[in-house]
Amino acid sequence: MDLNDKEQVERCRDGHPEDFGLLVGRYQKPLFSYLAGRLGDRLQAEEAAQESFVRAFLSLKKLRKPESFYSWLLGIAGRVAKEQFRAAGHRQRDCEAAEVMMAEAGDSRSDYPLEQAIAVLPESYRHVILLRFYEGLSCQEVATRLELPLGTVTKTLSRAYALLRQELEIREGAEQTVNQPDNHELR
Amino acid sequence: MNCAECRDNLVACLEGLLDTEQARQCRAHLETCAACRAECASVTGLQQRLAASGRVAAEVSLVEPVMRRVRQQQLGPERNTLMNLLFRNRWGFGLGAAAGAAALVLIVFLVSPRTQASAAEVLARGAKAVSKLSSIHLRGQLRTAPQDNFSYINPDLDFVTVELWKQFEPELKWRVEKPARVAVMDGQSTLLFIRTANLAMRVPRPSQSAFDTEWLHEMADPSETLTNELTAIKAHGWPVTLKREQGADGNPKSVITIEAKSGLPDSDYLKNKFFMTADTRRVYVFDDQTKLLESVRIYLHATSGEVLIFELQQIDYNRPIDPAVFQFELPKNVNWYQLEMQKLPDNEKYASMTAAQAARAYFEAFGRGDWTEAEKFRRSPVDEATKQTVSGLEIVSLGQSFTSAASPEAQFVPYEIKLEGGRVIKHNLALKKDPATGRWFVDGGGF
Repeated sequence: MDLNDKEQVERCRDGHPEDFGLLVGRYQKPLFSYLAGRLGDRLQAEEAAQESFVRAFLSLKKLRKPESFYSWLLGIAGRVAKEQFRAAGHRQRDCEAAEVMMAEAGDSRSDYPLEQAIAVLPESYRHVILLRFYEGLSCQEVATRLELPLGTVTKTLSRAYALLRQELEIREGAEQTVNQPDNHELR
Repeated sequence: MNCAECRDNLVACLEGLLDTEQARQCRAHLETCAACRAECASVTGLQQRLAASGRVAAEVSLVEPVMRRVRQQQLGPERNTLMNLLFRNRWGFGLGAAAGAAALVLIVFLVSPRTQASAAEVLARGAKAVSKLSSIHLRGQLRTAPQDNFSYINPDLDFVTVELWKQFEPELKWRVEKPARVAVMDGQSTLLFIRTANLAMRVPRPSQSAFDTEWLHEMADPSETLTNELTAIKAHGWPVTLKREQGADGNPKSVITIEAKSGLPDSDYLKNKFFMTADTRRVYVFDDQTKLLESVRIYLHATSGEVLIFELQQIDYNRPIDPAVFQFELPKNVNWYQLEMQKLPDNEKYASMTAAQAARAYFEAFGRGDWTEAEKFRRSPVDEATKQTVSGLEIVSLGQSFTSAASPEAQFVPYEIKLEGGRVIKHNLALKKDPATGRWFVDGGGF
């Protein structure tokens, strides 16, 4: 039987560091998808995901609530994404500042528009969406993983869908507007 | 059920979580209320979009690279750039100190900071010399199987030629090739073709490296490789020697030898089977005049003794590469590797199998010549040559599955089979679980 996050983290701390691979396998897809949304680029997202896992491994002893491994990991990933973003911004400052800023603001040319919208959801909604669709868990499995009542998971999903649709409408609406002729010239 | 109740229960209804009566009421309301039907269609559309996006993410495989880094970190946590390492006070020298030591023939073991410093200096000069490459071509010899994984090594096999062409500017493109296997990244997509199996896989995007060519790409970026080597020397305490000698061309050479450890225990099944899981001695030769890396030799510490497994014989820096190198025409009848496995009507039957059960079902299907059944455990069709080889096979024995720290996702099932002609094959079948379907698929060690 699969160990839960708390048991898995404790096993890693307890002289079985190679078992960290099981936690990587468990969360690689949601973590990658979150970072793809933040960074808008597959290679950067993969790199940031690797870095996030390695940092998590190195800090595993400091994790006070092992049962919260997943949200803790996403927190680390958020910081790694910021660092990567800053580093990219610094490298490209002279020639590509405008593009970098657009990416930060949710540039619609990203390869990951849906993941970008997920990345800006409030944390609790984002966690559930990532587990449900990117980890491929059922609602019941999400409830078990996050130690939440099943009803809370379905309510959270319902609210997350509403927020996501709103976010996508804004983003995709903005893209359509940009692609329209300039209204001022039509007047 | 009214509109508010319907919307409150909509997600639970779509997820099949309502009891029969509630679900009936929800469906009945949807039939009569256009607004709630529109809301339901909108939610369903978003769910489908999310599910499709989730399937794309299923291609991500981070376990092996992360665990490789974790193992390295366990051996020594520090990682830094070469330049940072060089300019740290503890190294006790700066780049300017290089010239004074040039004429010496020096062999000192790791414990001496002086050797680290001298080796670091040579590596740094090599890295600097190639820091602005526009292209590189590498040609070497590797003991491996011509059609097998690009990182597979086997000291008992003959050498085969391995080549890499890499263009950095104006657009990143690369090609890695050995006699029966080729990988090409043309700037748009990344293609793998295995000639002997007439099997191809295309990832519809560019990549820095792919299909286990990472070790060769690292060599194609000498600046990065040498930085990594120096970091590893320091972090892991790997023994390193520096020797200065006269080359065949009369020029002085710096020869750096590094004893690298994979971090895997000797008992691990994958130890010494792939580049990244091997204990090796790596020998880098630099020309002292041009500062450029000239050759690389890698020796495997096999149980039978030390064996030369890789020799980089030719390195061309910044030579124009024929654009045709990055184009590859596939045969018209090529078989395609499936990146996504499809769910079966009776998928659960297969998803609930253990790895050993899946191995048994796979071999039994081969024995019966039931290719449709066998392909439920594969990501590629069974080719004609394989069909002729395995048809009628008998299982002699199957053992208990085991794992490797180098690939925690995989289960290895020991097997012994007898082919129709009487030939007995004893090996370990590698199986991995497909994330989307939950079914085991064969990932090596078999047919």
